Amino acid sequence: MLEQLLIFTRGGLILWSSCRGLGNALKGSPIDALIRSCLLEERSAETSFAHDAYTLKWAFHNELGLVFVAVYQRILHLLYVDDLLAAVRREFAEIYDPKRTSYDDFDETFRQLQKEAEARAEEMKKSKQAGRAPAVPGKKQGAGGAAQRDAKQKGNGAGGGGSGKDDGDGDGDSGKGRWLANGNGNGQEKGARERSHAPPGSVVVKGKENGGPQAGAFDVNKLQKLRSKGGKKSDNTKPASKGGEPKKIVKKNRVWDDSPSESRLDFTDPVDERGEGIVEAVAADQGESMMDKEEDLSSESEAEEEDEEVEGAKPGAKKKGWFTSMFQSIAGNAIIEKSDLQPALKALKDRLMTKNVAEEIAEKLCESVAASLEGKKLGSFTRISSTVQTAMEEALLRILTPKRSIDILREVHAAKEHGKPYVIVFVGVNGVGKSTNLAKVAYWLLQHNISVMLAACDTFRSGAVEQLRTHARRLQIPIFEKGYEKDPAVVAREAIQEASRNKSDVVLVDTAGRMQDNEPLMRALSKLINLNSPDLVLFVGEALVGNDAVDQLSKFNQKLADLSTVPNARLIDGILLTKFDTIDDKVGAALSMVYISGAPVMFVGCGQSYTDLKKLNVKSIVKTLLK
Amino acid sequence: MSMCMDQWISQIEQWFHQQPVEQIYVAVAVLALTVVLFVLFSLLKTSKSNTIVLAGLNGSGKTILFYQLRDGSPHQGTVTSMEPNDGTFVLHSELGKKGKIKPVHLVDVPGHSRLKPKLDEFLPNAAGLIFVVDALDFLPNCRPAAEYLYDILTKSSVVKRRIPVLILCNKTDKVTAHSKEFIRKQLEKEIDKLRTSRNAISTADISDEFMLGVPGEPFTLEQCRNKVTVAEASGLTGEVSQVEQFIREHVKP
Ligand SMILES: Nc1nc2c(ncn2[C@@H]2O[C@H](COP(=O)(O)OP(=O)(O)OP(=O)(O)O)[C@@H](O)[C@H]2O)c(=O)[nH]1
Ligand SMILES: [Mg+2]
Repeated sequence: MLEQLLIFTRGGLILWSSCRGLGNALKGSPIDALIRSCLLEERSAETSFAHDAYTLKWAFHNELGLVFVAVYQRILHLLYVDDLLAAVRREFAEIYDPKRTSYDDFDETFRQLQKEAEARAEEMKKSKQAGRAPAVPGKKQGAGGAAQRDAKQKGNGAGGGGSGKDDGDGDGDSGKGRWLANGNGNGQEKGARERSHAPPGSVVVKGKENGGPQAGAFDVNKLQKLRSKGGKKSDNTKPASKGGEPKKIVKKNRVWDDSPSESRLDFTDPVDERGEGIVEAVAADQGESMMDKEEDLSSESEAEEEDEEVEGAKPGAKKKGWFTSMFQSIAGNAIIEKSDLQPALKALKDRLMTKNVAEEIAEKLCESVAASLEGKKLGSFTRISSTVQTAMEEALLRILTPKRSIDILREVHAAKEHGKPYVIVFVGVNGVGKSTNLAKVAYWLLQHNISVMLAACDTFRSGAVEQLRTHARRLQIPIFEKGYEKDPAVVAREAIQEASRNKSDVVLVDTAGRMQDNEPLMRALSKLINLNSPDLVLFVGEALVGNDAVDQLSKFNQKLADLSTVPNARLIDGILLTKFDTIDDKVGAALSMVYISGAPVMFVGCGQSYTDLKKLNVKSIVKTLLK
Repeated sequence: MSMCMDQWISQIEQWFHQQPVEQIYVAVAVLALTVVLFVLFSLLKTSKSNTIVLAGLNGSGKTILFYQLRDGSPHQGTVTSMEPNDGTFVLHSELGKKGKIKPVHLVDVPGHSRLKPKLDEFLPNAAGLIFVVDALDFLPNCRPAAEYLYDILTKSSVVKRRIPVLILCNKTDKVTAHSKEFIRKQLEKEIDKLRTSRNAISTADISDEFMLGVPGEPFTLEQCRNKVTVAEASGLTGEVSQVEQFIREHVKP
């Protein structure tokens, strides 16, 4: 049975609920969980969301700003939910009035709709059982019906996703669910990845769960009879013009940091190690860490924005698109359809990909933006491409805005009050600059009068301990090391104990770089994290990576979850992006990593000296991504 | 194309010459006057803003409060907001009153941290800000609430225009709710700590943030340049008189 069907505005007001009186009887408010960890995380193009014992499915009506959510027990595989949601969405849109807040009269309609949907599901089951051979004529009929129905839907200004990739128009076989925002996912991926970003106890399911290709094969005549009201509106929306591809603005290479690096930080070279005497203590003479300086980017990017606007106003290169869309915007508020969005989204996706955003993520983002725009009215004097651009800008800003506090100093102070050292574990694949950036973080902390201790837990790669020792000497901070033979988890534990004894405020734990597929090493990392429960697990990743960013982070998170021996495994809390000075405007890795892990970028490493550590300027990243 | 244009222009010129001179002067004068009046009017309108912003963490009860103020009822409850609620209306409690009452523009900005940047859109013309705190579930949310409040109190758009802030302890219908004095103390304490850590992070960050309070002294809300007050309410049961008082203090009826 369906537990609850809820209709609410995007502003959060419940308009109608299938089970009133009992109030919010659902345990653990699954709907809030859905909104917080799925819909607001640009994952609304997914098919369903699982929370505790419930599965949730949803549909949007973007023009009216309504959300429809159905909740049912996870163990039941209700086949009619998509169908029912679509029907409720259609019927409710007819009676919706923004001024009204109570819809008691919808109870009756809903009961009727539910009965119909159940009947259809029953029908389908029977026809499936009856064998496939005689289903051929029925199927034909079904195909016609589906197409008809589809047209009706369009007339109603239907919104929602659908894959749009392989759904031919009017092709009845593609079945139902096309008008649902979460109708078709691209079902190639497995739920494995989703584990990494969903909150504990929640899983996002991709791909179609119910309604196979047969779904369109129910008896349409019966449907027509059952239904007293038909769709009244006809399909009168003209195909809108294609929003011209936004012109790319050729820009000079961005320079992130123009001060020459004074000293190399890379001590990997064993030669360095021998010249111990030469290495002088430079703890205090490299000036302020850049973490403390405001990005000087903002003014520059503002100027760029103006340029862009000027260019945008010139119709020149894209006269045709401009003309038709102009005509449309005067002629009336056209309703945005999926097909209108495609060209603009395609251009946007390509643009994101040239900025080195992983393809999969660019794709998902575009789907989510499409789901949020489809069915909306186009404002007068706006082009589709600019509407899409604005929606994407908002989505990006939302994603990149940290969910948790990234004020590490505050957390360090809080830990200090409790008399405990604050422990940060640096993890990541090989050669991304873990140790170097660990030293930068140490330098930055030292500048704020916080005592730091290093823990050399890379007992795997030779030379790693020496490299860290060199940093420690230059920064004049204690280092805890136990050579190469020991279990890193144990070394870390002893280091933390030592830090409690000598009253260090922060312990920075260096770990061995490891490939995300290396099972034994990942198991060791999981053990280290579980044994010591650090305050922060910082993933160190290169800003250079493209598609691999997704693989690295999602596998790290997944392995940490799978290989953990405790029920609530610790995952990655934050990201440190390295080599940011080498990537120009290809800042996509920041987006990919944040999206896939849900963790914020806490630091950005942007050079070779101790001071080259910055905060991420979210607004300028968004601007750069969309330029 | 241009030929056509020229013809038009010459025609218009001719027409002008045919008209008496006084008439043209009068027309120009009337035109200028209306423009000036229009500009003045719109200037006056923007300078007297009637926007009140509701901000606060997720689940603190902003949306319920919004509807309580508008309709006098929490309706059937709420779920997490995905978009701001925005409306211009006369408060529900004032509906019975006679005479013309100036409507209030009330905005409820969702508390989900990903949606916090939305706040900046509404602050530039806010006449007041209500920071809603969940008094029932206060302790676990104390630090994030203080951080959000700190961010608001240091925003240049708030400090420069001295936007008055009301810290509203909501959900006081429940007996286990914390008192406003307690909440005030805790928030002040947390902000005091934040002051040291935040200032450390952004020493060169004068551009859009302001220093809070007096250096060397423990932070109290009185030290803010804008007026910060504390009040209690319950959105669910409709105990919102102190909120209405605040609103009407800053948006005159
Ligand atoms: N007991 C009690 N509960 C309340 C009160 N106000 C709100 N609540 C409850 O708090 C929950 C959240 O209320 P909302 O108004 O949706 O919270 P919000 O601040 O809009 O949250 P976001 O939209 O996520 O930012 C709801 O379940 C309300 O029933 C109150 O005065 N008393
Ligand atoms: Mg809300």
